[in-house]
Amino acid sequence: MVHQYADRHTLEGLVPADVSAGADHLAVAARQAIVVVLAAPGQEAAVAHLLASDEDLSARFSAPGEWLVISGLQTPELLHQALAALLGDMAHCIDQSHGRVLLRLTGLNARAILAKGAGLDLHPSAFSVGQSANVLCGHISVNLARVGDDAFEIVVMRSFADTLLHDLRDMGRAFDLTTAFLA
Amino acid sequence: MASLIPCPHCGIRPKEEFSIRGDASLVRPDPESSDETWNDYVHIRANPRGRYREHWQHVAGCRRWLVVERDTFTHEVFSVSDGAVRPWETSR
Repeated sequence: MVHQYADRHTLEGLVPADVSAGADHLAVAARQAIVVVLAAPGQEAAVAHLLASDEDLSARFSAPGEWLVISGLQTPELLHQALAALLGDMAHCIDQSHGRVLLRLTGLNARAILAKGAGLDLHPSAFSVGQSANVLCGHISVNLARVGDDAFEIVVMRSFADTLLHDLRDMGRAFDLTTAFLA
Repeated sequence: MASLIPCPHCGIRPKEEFSIRGDASLVRPDPESSDETWNDYVHIRANPRGRYREHWQHVAGCRRWLVVERDTFTHEVFSVSDGAVRPWETSR
């Protein structure tokens, strides 16, 4: 029996491919490039500055001196190479593209849906566009980022994605949340 | 139990995101100390009613070890600082 490990998305079969997005929609990225960047001691500010200088990179705060760097344009290999070249000895870069799943929650009720599971103040004055943080959603630790007024991105470990998807659908049922793979 | 902990890195979070290790005011004794001193350090704990300083880890957030100073009776949180910064240790 031959297993196809690399090509199969962990949520394949659980998320329909051809559902049109409703008012509130959860999109699952079919592929993504995510690299964990861990700054060397004393280099935190310099690394943060370099990450912010590149417009293609989206650095999500994970811990002091640690970020999840996401690129919507590059492949995992190219993103890893680009970061290694950009940061050199100042940071460790570890490719996590296949270890995480990226979800994007959009819609006017996105905040209300997330508020059912995350113990974080999601009001724009406390969690503005561009901010990100690790937070407990239900009982799963995720990285949550606000990418728009009514748009959030969630990065979760691959093995928890199935349960998180189930939880998010429950949280969004009252709002007719739709789910589909991102084209 | 104090229910909202202001993490210095992540902001105000519910206590469910943290795990508690215990007393943060203990000072590790000299390796050559007597067995009795080591026994006290490893096993003997006070259970104070009032102000208490503890190690908490923000496991679901930044995963940093923090020092939380709280009141075990009123649940008031006085201060939360990163475990790597321990100003009172320099004066000991």
